[in-house]
Amino acid sequence: ENREAMLNSKSNRLTEALEEANRLFDGVCRAREAALDAQFLVIASNIGKEKANELHSEMSAFDSTAFAEDLLTFMGINRTEVEETDDSEDVPGAFLPSDAWRTMGEEASKYFRRAPTFHYMMGSFKSEPPAPKQRIERQKKAGRGKAEQAMPAQLKKMEESHQEATEKEVERILRILQTHFENDPNTPISFFDFVMDPNSFARTVENVFHVSFLIRDGLAKIKLDEDELPIIEPIKPSEGGEEDSRAGARNQVVISLDQREWK
Amino acid sequence: QVSELVQFLLVKDQKKIPIKRADMLKNIIREYRDAYSEIVKRADRTLQAVFGLQLVEIDTKRHIYILINNLPRPEGQHLCRDKEKEKMGLLLVILSFIFMKGNSVKDSALWEFLHLLRVYPGKQHSVFGDVRKLVTEEFVRQKYLETTAIPLTDPPEFKYQWGPRAEKETSKKDVLNFVAKMQSKDPTFWASQYSEAEAN
Repeated sequence: ENREAMLNSKSNRLTEALEEANRLFDGVCRAREAALDAQFLVIASNIGKEKANELHSEMSAFDSTAFAEDLLTFMGINRTEVEETDDSEDVPGAFLPSDAWRTMGEEASKYFRRAPTFHYMMGSFKSEPPAPKQRIERQKKAGRGKAEQAMPAQLKKMEESHQEATEKEVERILRILQTHFENDPNTPISFFDFVMDPNSFARTVENVFHVSFLIRDGLAKIKLDEDELPIIEPIKPSEGGEEDSRAGARNQVVISLDQREWK
Repeated sequence: QVSELVQFLLVKDQKKIPIKRADMLKNIIREYRDAYSEIVKRADRTLQAVFGLQLVEIDTKRHIYILINNLPRPEGQHLCRDKEKEKMGLLLVILSFIFMKGNSVKDSALWEFLHLLRVYPGKQHSVFGDVRKLVTEEFVRQKYLETTAIPLTDPPEFKYQWGPRAEKETSKKDVLNFVAKMQSKDPTFWASQYSEAEAN
């Protein structure tokens, strides 16, 4: 007990306690008392060591209170003049905004060499890929399966949300395609115009990816026009019958697009 | 093998919990144990060349690794989620406090300081939730902080120091610069901390 008091660099309590222990020891005649004295010595020396540490750690005086004030200022604290109403643990009249720690975090990220958290951009493939692709996928899944075992719970959550996101994207793109086509059913939509995002190559690739789902599911089709350029149009449900007979014939088309071409 | 290991490391790093060699051997390298060091070396090279990350061993006895960022820190917006950013903010503040106070602080001193920033161990925080858990468990498990019990204290007290991940991801110099920036002073204002930071 009284540890804090002893640690206070300004107090001599530790010395006093040691002196008293010394005095008491003279009266000791039983082993138990000697053991207690030994125990006391151990505690005292620990305290002594801590005291010495604290002396060293004064270092160049660092005013933590001032530091805290400066941090609050940086985080955007709003110090309004309010009379002391009652005691409350929170300082009355000073308001810390909700993005305070985000502001701090923004600054903090400049001081850390932290590896950005890794996330799969596209999620994993849906469960029924077209036949020719299956072989490659199975190999990949087998290789990855073991690695994923280490953290199955976490990955499952990620995959699900990515899958949903993909489906939603695909639906959204289908709707856009249908809307365009409704507005002007006779003008074909250039495939490249449709998928190209002038500001982002990555987005363009994502768009091609999502469109490929539409084609695979028979919701859109790509034809070549007179200039041998691909155009895309949605398939009306009524056309479905015609297409059924051709469902067996799957076509695979490889479109290559690199960043230079895209530019 | 190498690309599997790379993927494994990237996924394992998501929670920022250090990766054990044993896990790498068990899950990826398996039969190729003899080639282990070669595989790891190549994986590190791939991580550096492709992702700008580095595989660093923080415990050479128990063979524990972390991934850190090799690229120079870009200015401007960083693409992390807010939750991550906020935690890094709190962490930087804690690391600064520890360093400026001589590299080791008692838990009571740390909480007393955080009090000034409206962060209380007993109270649910609007941003951080259970702060005590965040500081004493999460940051410690990720090796940003290290906590050791102070002997013969009752009730038991702990002291906090920088953990090995903190040592690798930042530096005393960077942290001192942060403090100096916050307080609008020159880092040399704190002479002994400054010389310690320079010596590092």
